[in-house]
This record gives sequence, structure tokens and C-alpha cells, in this order.
Amino acid sequence: MNAKNPPVDTLRFGSGHTVRRIEDPALITGRGSFTDDLVREGQLHLAFARSPYGHARIRSIDSQPALDIPGVVAVYTGAELFAAGVQPLPGPPPILKRPDGSPAASAARRALAHEVVRYVGEAVAAVVATSAAVAQQGAEALWVDYDELSSVTDAKLAMAPGAPVLCAAAPDNIVAEARSGNAVATDAAFASAALVVGLDLSNQRLAPSAMEPRVVLGEIEPGTQDRLLITLSSQMPSAVRDGIATLLPGMKPEQVRVKVGDVGGGFGMKTGLYPEDLVVAWAVHQLKRPVKWCGQRIEEFTASVHGRDQQSNAEMALDAAGKVLALRIRTIANVGAYGTPTGCMIPLMVGPWVTTSVYDIQTVSLHITAVMTNRTPTGAYRGAGRPEAIYITERLFDAAARRLKLDPAELRRRNLIQPAQMPYKNPMGQVYDVGQFERMLDQALVLGDWAGYAQRQAASKARGKVRGRSVTTFLEWTGGNALAEQVTVRVCAEGFIELTSATMAMGQGIQTSYAQLAVDVFGVPMDRIRILQGDTDRANGFGSAGSRSLFTGGGALHVASERTVAHGKDLASEVLEAAASDIEYRAGEFRVVGTDLKVGLFDLAGRQPKGHIVVSGDATAGAPSWPNAAHVCEVELDTETGAVEVVAYASVNDIGRVVSPQIVEGQVEGGAVQGMGQALCEEVVYDDQGQLLTASFMDYALPHADIFRGFKTVFDTSVPCTTNVLGVKGVGELGTIGATPGVVNAIGDALIAAGVAPQRAEAVQMPMTALKLWAALQA
Amino acid sequence: MQLEPQTLLLQVLREHLQLTGTHMGCDTAQCGACTVLVNGQAVKSCNVLAVQVQGAAVTTIEGLAAADGALHPLQEAFSACHGLQCGFCTPGMIMSAAGLLASKPQPTDDEIVHALEGNLCRCTGYVNIVKAVKQAADSMAAKEARA
Repeated sequence: MNAKNPPVDTLRFGSGHTVRRIEDPALITGRGSFTDDLVREGQLHLAFARSPYGHARIRSIDSQPALDIPGVVAVYTGAELFAAGVQPLPGPPPILKRPDGSPAASAARRALAHEVVRYVGEAVAAVVATSAAVAQQGAEALWVDYDELSSVTDAKLAMAPGAPVLCAAAPDNIVAEARSGNAVATDAAFASAALVVGLDLSNQRLAPSAMEPRVVLGEIEPGTQDRLLITLSSQMPSAVRDGIATLLPGMKPEQVRVKVGDVGGGFGMKTGLYPEDLVVAWAVHQLKRPVKWCGQRIEEFTASVHGRDQQSNAEMALDAAGKVLALRIRTIANVGAYGTPTGCMIPLMVGPWVTTSVYDIQTVSLHITAVMTNRTPTGAYRGAGRPEAIYITERLFDAAARRLKLDPAELRRRNLIQPAQMPYKNPMGQVYDVGQFERMLDQALVLGDWAGYAQRQAASKARGKVRGRSVTTFLEWTGGNALAEQVTVRVCAEGFIELTSATMAMGQGIQTSYAQLAVDVFGVPMDRIRILQGDTDRANGFGSAGSRSLFTGGGALHVASERTVAHGKDLASEVLEAAASDIEYRAGEFRVVGTDLKVGLFDLAGRQPKGHIVVSGDATAGAPSWPNAAHVCEVELDTETGAVEVVAYASVNDIGRVVSPQIVEGQVEGGAVQGMGQALCEEVVYDDQGQLLTASFMDYALPHADIFRGFKTVFDTSVPCTTNVLGVKGVGELGTIGATPGVVNAIGDALIAAGVAPQRAEAVQMPMTALKLWAALQA
Repeated sequence: MQLEPQTLLLQVLREHLQLTGTHMGCDTAQCGACTVLVNGQAVKSCNVLAVQVQGAAVTTIEGLAAADGALHPLQEAFSACHGLQCGFCTPGMIMSAAGLLASKPQPTDDEIVHALEGNLCRCTGYVNIVKAVKQAADSMAAKEARA
């Protein structure tokens, strides 16, 4: 037996089995490779001077006080970058329109602000110095002469006449708006309805808060004259490369290489290009020396994108039997100082796609307006549009069930889309390929012991607490509408298989899932598989976002792996002097059927001129996938203090075929805790002048270890996705989407059980702090 | 080692000793990614001047495994229980847990949660972290019993 081709029972490592993650060994021993862990010879440090005002005109910047400090090497200002021809970052996509039909409008978002600053924390100048401390000292020493302007941080106020204007092309501060569905039919349905419920709902602004702050290290690639090598923490290396190449004057994509090492959490906020990336690239381009910027936590709060921030008036019309006739929703999305591509598309496009969720509702009228204010720009944050939309729909269902005196599970059941209706086209034209929504509900009710609730309620009461519960049935859209991926397989004589993908690991365990899929095809031990990501010289593509990596990248990996085996049979047929059709492959060996004639996969690679076999494969998913679930949540409310605790959380999730059971469980439960964070404690708060009041973990309340334990999490794998070769659906955002309405609806139930009038209980907005709940209890 | 008086322990570890397993995740001593052991006690190294620990024994994540490379039961358990996703908070979590287990070898779940109140994790929801600490405590107790 050749040592390079050991026999192995690969069954334990292939898809469907829990394995040790291949990401773990480095991370648990302190040998990870986060960007800030890298140090280059002669490295300079960059620090930003940032706006202390929500809105101000920059009269002038005097760089001299910074330049006078020993160790300061250079200072860059917005005016200088503007004069040099550095282009603004991408704004709202042209497909979006303002109310009058004119193109979506936003002030230009520049790498460094030019003439006007529009939010606290906007970068106005960059100081490069020989140490981080001196760079920071320089950023504090340079003199910016500001002429403060009036700020507006509330989106409704921003739309009112006379409000401060952020962008001349949008005197009403409206970036764009979307009207979807059929307003006439909706109004008619409301007119004939037996019941109409309406709620004013706030989906507060959140800070994504990846634990690793953003870090960018730029240098001239060793061995080249002027090729930029940018290493950073990003979910989308190719987008960063293309952004730098497009926006810096005279730059071409081949002159930029972007590498990404370990990513300490992404959650959507590390997608796309940031102003800081561009400034570091510019500094390296000018100085031809390595330059590093390491974001402080306060910069993460003020200058990394925020998520959510939508105010809605939502109405649901039902007939007497509880069939939903129509939804009418008016939403104002506060997208902050600049309309970014994702910041605008999330409320205007993505949210509406899932608003009707798992329910058979064909009549909707959605009117959504994206408004600029003097807040940090918004972007993607876990769920990105789906949590906001699903929250509205699920809140309406509970309000309706209450008025109809129906079990909330029963009201949902009466409205669920049935399997026979698949494929189902929702009123936004989105087509669900498969889904057994009632089956998920049934299982969740059993898992969460819905029937045995009275006993637990009594037990809570005996402890002096009031119990509340909820059931949430929902789905989500995944894929980012970027459905194609390519994977390159390199089988090396040294005894390993390298798989290269443009998707990115960021904690979701995608490398392990990929390795398991490769084991399925190649039948070699997992330690023979190496996943290469995060290098634009090796692979380019959309990157990892919108829960797309497994169902697009995994599909491509599967196709490329099978193609490699097929190609290997051709190569083996020459070595074994047999027809390729007579050769079978199994567990690392090509064998002539029915004989002892064989050649090992890695031996075969060694016989090739370059010592390896390289095959690329691509796959394009036919459509988004539609993960869905039913979550049952219970809370206990202390009526004396308003303190509330999540005490039970049971979920049944349909993510199609499961590749890595332990990983997907971690995705749903970790995601659910993020959703609980929104429900219970997290909120970005600004004052009227645009000062960010929650700019540290002292003031922005992230969930701590005491938030909840005791998840019951189940996966129903009986409904594989039909739009990709693997049958998988996305999983990364499901828990976050379900947990927020789950916790809030359970709290509403508890408040009402404690005697609070329904309308008063329903008016409490997230985050549901003890203070707010206590105040509601004081009526 | 000659240091400026304002040098933080975290800086000494990361910048002077290139021990980059200890991370900096915030400016306000709240996230706990920088936690190390000082004389066996969990301490946030971003909040300690290097001169304050002169002569003390400092243990970082790099020094937790045995000399022969065998993983510490906490490292083993964090991987087995999926107690990490992105891994950025993990060194701090493990060192905080090590500090706990040194003083309380068999903690309850509530005691674990309490001991980790100064460590933030955005990925895991903490569930599997608590499981991992529990499992490590059990495996250390079992090892003790065998010895």
C-alpha cells in the first residue's frame, strides 16, 4: 500500500457527519492569522481624523501641526484626494428611483470627506507615521476649521420641509423609494375585511459588532515596482480589489492584489469597499512603503456600517375565518448620511421579497422610502432586510390572533402555503421552489411542547413570574442574487488536494463544509484537503454574503471535484493502458474494473508534467434558496422589575440537505442570540445633533454569556432545495431572523397575561429593556 | 526588556514578543479578547501596564498547551463542542475559563457564565462556550482521578 494513498473510512468525515472543524487547530492555539497579526518591515501606521460633528462644512484643514510632530510621514486630506482624482465610493444603484422618477440621489461618499461632513466619525484626514501612537497624536493635532451646520438624525423629520439637506439633488433627503404590489386591490381588500389590525413598529438601528475590528495592511507587493498588495479583514476580497482599481486614478485591476487571512466575524458589515481601504491603498501608492490602519472599537461604532433602522406603519386585513386578505405597509428606512448600494437595496428590494413569508398572501401594498440623515451609513447586517420584513409580518399575526381570540399557531396554520402550491410565486414575483411549512410548524409545536404550556405557565406563576410564549413561522431568501461560483481543484503529488474558492471563511465553518463535500467525491481523509481562499490572484468572485457560500460555492466545488475525477480517469487510462470507461475511482485510487491494475490519485498527479492535476468547475444555482423554519419561544417576566428572561427556545429548521450538523446548529443558535440581542438590549442611539451616544461596549449592549442557554434545535432535511446540485439551502441568517419576533411576541404575550392592555403591550418597541417593560406594567 | 513606562501588557505580548494569539477587540476593557493569566488569574492585558507585572508569571494562549504540543483540555473542548466560530474572542475566552478552573475546578453553569461576563462573543451565542468549559472541567477531573 502506497503511503500517499492510505486506506480510509471516509464515511465518518463526509457530508452529514459532525467532524472537528479544520479551522480550529490554529484558532485555539493562538496561531490564527488575523490582519493585525501581520507586521511588515518598515511598516508605517495610519490614523484618521474624524468629524466630531453630525453635519458641518469644512472651511480648511491645516496639516502642519501634525507634520511638525517627529515621526509623522504624511497627511492626506479630502481636498487632496479630490484634486488627485480619487473617485467616490459607489452610491445607490441606478435601478432605484426617487418619488419623482429621477435617479436615486446621494451625496458622494468619499474616501476622505471633501467640503462637507455628514456624520460623526466620517474620516476627514489621514495621518501616516512611524508608530500608531504618533499617527494618532498627529490626527489629534491637525486643525480642521469646521462651520457647523444643522443636523437631522430622525428620518421623518429629515423628509419634512425646512429640514437640513444632505444632498442637493434630494432636497427632501429621499435617496429613493419603492412602491410594490397593488395599492388599489389592497385598499379594496381592507375595505371588505372583517378585521384590520395596525401596528407602528420600530426596527432599531444596530451595530453589527464583529469582535475583530477592521484592519487594513497595504504594501507594494514584494518583487514588483508598484503593484498594490492589500491585506484586510473582508468578506469580499474581489470587490475590494475592483473598488480600489476603479476608484484610484490610473489603476487597473491587475495592479491590485487583495489577500484576506482569518476574518474575526463578518455578519455582512465586512462586505464591499470601505473608505479606509481606499485611503490605505492611496497612502501605499504614494509612499511605496507598508502602511497599516487598525480600527479602534470606537471607529467600528462610528464608521463601520450599521444595520436595520426602519420605522413602519403596518396593517393586516383578515376575513372572519382568519384568512389574511392583504398587507399594507409604509416603511421609512433611515439609511444614514450616504445611500450605499446595500444600504438602499436592503429596505427597498430585499425586504419586500420576503414580506409575505410562508403565507399565502397575494395582495400587498408596500411603500418604502429610504431617507438620508446625519447618521452613519447603513449596510448589510445579518439578515439584511429579511429580519425587518419578517418582524413586521410576525408581529401582525400575533396582533390579529389576539383580536380573533385564536391560538397564534392556528392563525398561522390557516394561512400557510401548502406543498401542493409549490413552486409558489409570491406577490413580489419571487418563486419558492419547495417548502413544507406546516410540517415545520407541527414539529416545532411538539418540540416546544406547545400543548403542555399551561403547566409551565403555572410553574412560572408559582415562582412569582409571568410567562409568555410565541411561535414564529417564516422563510428567508438567500444568495445575494449572485448565483454563480467557480472552484479550482489542484491534486498535488505531495499528497493533498487544494480547492480554491473566491468565497470567504469568516467563522461560519465554510472550509470544513467544503472539505466534507470534497471527501464525498474523492474519498480521501479530510487532512488531505486544503481550502484556499482570500487571494484575488487565485480566485475572484462575489465573496461570502447573503448565506450564499455553500449553495453556490459548494455546488461549484462538487462539480469541479467530479470533473477532476472524470479527468483523472482519462489520465489513468493512459497509465493503466485501459479505456477510460473501464476505470473506476474509489477512495483515492483509479482501478481497471475487475482487475488489480490501479494507480493512486496522488501518484497520478506525480506522473503529470507539473506534478499536479488542475481542473476548474463552475456551477450556477438556478435561483435563490428559501430556508424556512418554525421557532417556539418562551419568556418569563418579573412584573415588579420589568426584567425579562428567555426561558425556552425550540426550533425546527429546513435548510435542505445538511452537510455539517454541528456547524449548522451553531449557525442557528448563535444567530438566534444575535436576534435576541435586537429584541432585548441592542440599540444604536444618536442625539439630535448627530452625536453617537452608544460608541463603546459600555453603552451598546451586546448579549453576554448569561443571555440564554437551553436551545432545542432540529433540522428537517426532507425537503432538499431543487435549485442547486447539492440540495442545500442557506443557513447563516435563519436564527437571527426568527429570534427577534419570537422573543418580542413572547414578551407581548407575557405583558398581556400580566394585565397590560393589548394596545399598550403592542406599542412597546425594541429593545425591550426592563425599564420599558416596567413602564408598560405601570398603567 | 527595556520598555516605555506607558507600554501595556497587551502591547508587550503582541508587538514586542510577537505573541499575536492575544487579541485587542475594544478600547474600553470590555470585550475580553486580550485576557491572559497573571500568576494564574485571568486579567485583561489591555488594562495592565507592563511594569505592573514585573516578575509575575504571564500565560497566554500560546503557552497553554503542554510542552509536547498536547492541547489543554479547554482547547480540546472548545473544538469538540464547537465553542468557537470566527475564533477572534477564543483565546480570551479560553484564558478566562482557565482562570476560573484554576480556582474552581468543578464550576456550575451559572458560575461559568458569571466568570465569562467580561468576555464578549458575537458568533456562538455562548451556548457552546459554556458547554466546552463544562466538558473541560469534567475531563480535567477525570484525569485527576486517574492520576
